[in-house]
Amino acid sequence: MAKKMLYLPFELIIEILLRLPVKSLLRFKSVCKSWFSLISKPNFANSHFQITVATRTSRILTLTQTPPRKFQSIDFEINSDSVSLNHNFLPPPYTYCQIKGSCRGFICLYSFRDIWIWNPSNRFHKQIPLSRFGSVLHNFTYHLYGFGYDQSRDDYVVVLLTCYLITNFSCVLEFFSLRDNTWNEIGKTHLTYLNTCQCKAGSFINGVVHWKLFEMPLPNDFHHSRENYGIWVFGEFLSLWVKDYPNNTTEIWVMKEYKLHSSWTKTLVICAEGGSSFYKPVCRTKSGDIIGKDHDRLVKYNDKGQLLEYLHIDRYADDLAMYTESLFSLPGEL
Amino acid sequence: MAQEASSSTSSKTISLKTGDGEIFEIEASAAKQMKTVQRLIDDLGDDITIPLHNVFSKELPKIIEYYKKDITGEITKDFEAEFVKDLNDDEVKVLFLAANYLDANKLFEFLSQNIADRLESKSVEYVRKYFGVENDFTPEEESKLREERAWSFRGIKEDE
Repeated sequence: MAKKMLYLPFELIIEILLRLPVKSLLRFKSVCKSWFSLISKPNFANSHFQITVATRTSRILTLTQTPPRKFQSIDFEINSDSVSLNHNFLPPPYTYCQIKGSCRGFICLYSFRDIWIWNPSNRFHKQIPLSRFGSVLHNFTYHLYGFGYDQSRDDYVVVLLTCYLITNFSCVLEFFSLRDNTWNEIGKTHLTYLNTCQCKAGSFINGVVHWKLFEMPLPNDFHHSRENYGIWVFGEFLSLWVKDYPNNTTEIWVMKEYKLHSSWTKTLVICAEGGSSFYKPVCRTKSGDIIGKDHDRLVKYNDKGQLLEYLHIDRYADDLAMYTESLFSLPGEL
Repeated sequence: MAQEASSSTSSKTISLKTGDGEIFEIEASAAKQMKTVQRLIDDLGDDITIPLHNVFSKELPKIIEYYKKDITGEITKDFEAEFVKDLNDDEVKVLFLAANYLDANKLFEFLSQNIADRLESKSVEYVRKYFGVENDFTPEEESKLREERAWSFRGIKEDE
């Protein structure tokens, strides 16, 4: 007796497709023309992204500079799911590359010649020229890049703060809009002191690129050199991590009220196993766990400072960022 | 004749009749999670056997089992894994359609994700057969698509 074929209406098929990972969806574009069309739509990419953010754990991207340069994508929840990423679009002559930000599945990569916006999940990539001040490279300039999404315009933005270390820390702020495809200067300013911590988080708080808080006072008793701290966004709060070498710990501070200096609160102290000299926090998951790198391991601590689990990774993977899989390509591009 | 809801609805059971004539009992609080059933109860009253023309005796007990666990708050990842473990891809599809018909949201979302997980590493041909979709690409168009995204075709499970 022939098996009766049970057909699902298209709306129900869509519900299933929205829950597939990006790689499968790209393959299933070949199923038929209506599926190709559906999966290519920005609406579908948007709905898919919302579901991914709600249901899947983020992935960790690692970059190893020592030749051969390697990008690895790791899913912490599934230890065996560590994928080597193709990055053939970066021409070999580039000797140095850095992850400057991660936002909605896109990674902002910086090399001394230009900037790349890259979605590792669907291999989309776009090259961006350096800005006027970004092209000035000598020992007395310091460049601070940020990357984020402007929801009001459905636009991605790269921001650059260039600081002149000799002229009283005068700074210039520029931004590149992917939609407008051009750099613009926002303004010039002076900083009373220079915090050269690197910021990887690509989200905006209240519409303001949050690393602008360099102009904000840091917690009292805060005297650390540039290597020893970093900033990320956790939920709605700005968070700061700082290494305390003498005590062999890492502190996590949270700014409970935006722009209110007195609201900096030390929430957690992590004692990395075997001393903290190699330990460096990278990012924070939705559930509050802190993921960091400790020499040759990716480690996860909970919000009480307890070690939950770890994964072995390349010890030379210096640059790390958290990202979510997405189908997005940039507005105006295929 | 519709009756007023009794004060002890939690212990009240509703009779459901499948499309193939079998009758099953379900607690009123579980029936509430299936919006289609609840609508029928609101229209017809809770003393009458509720007819479910599009759900059959093979699926309904499984659905009832799911919501029995739901009302006691016992749905865990382990339970859900166990729940679908012995179902083949076609049986899940039937359950999925039934959950949609019954407007049983939680089960529907769970089964959507389960079907997606089953299809994740499958081939394009398998997916076409599973959904009964016809390939309307020409051979040239299709081979071009595969070339462009050859990397997404790696690591696929063999079709059974």
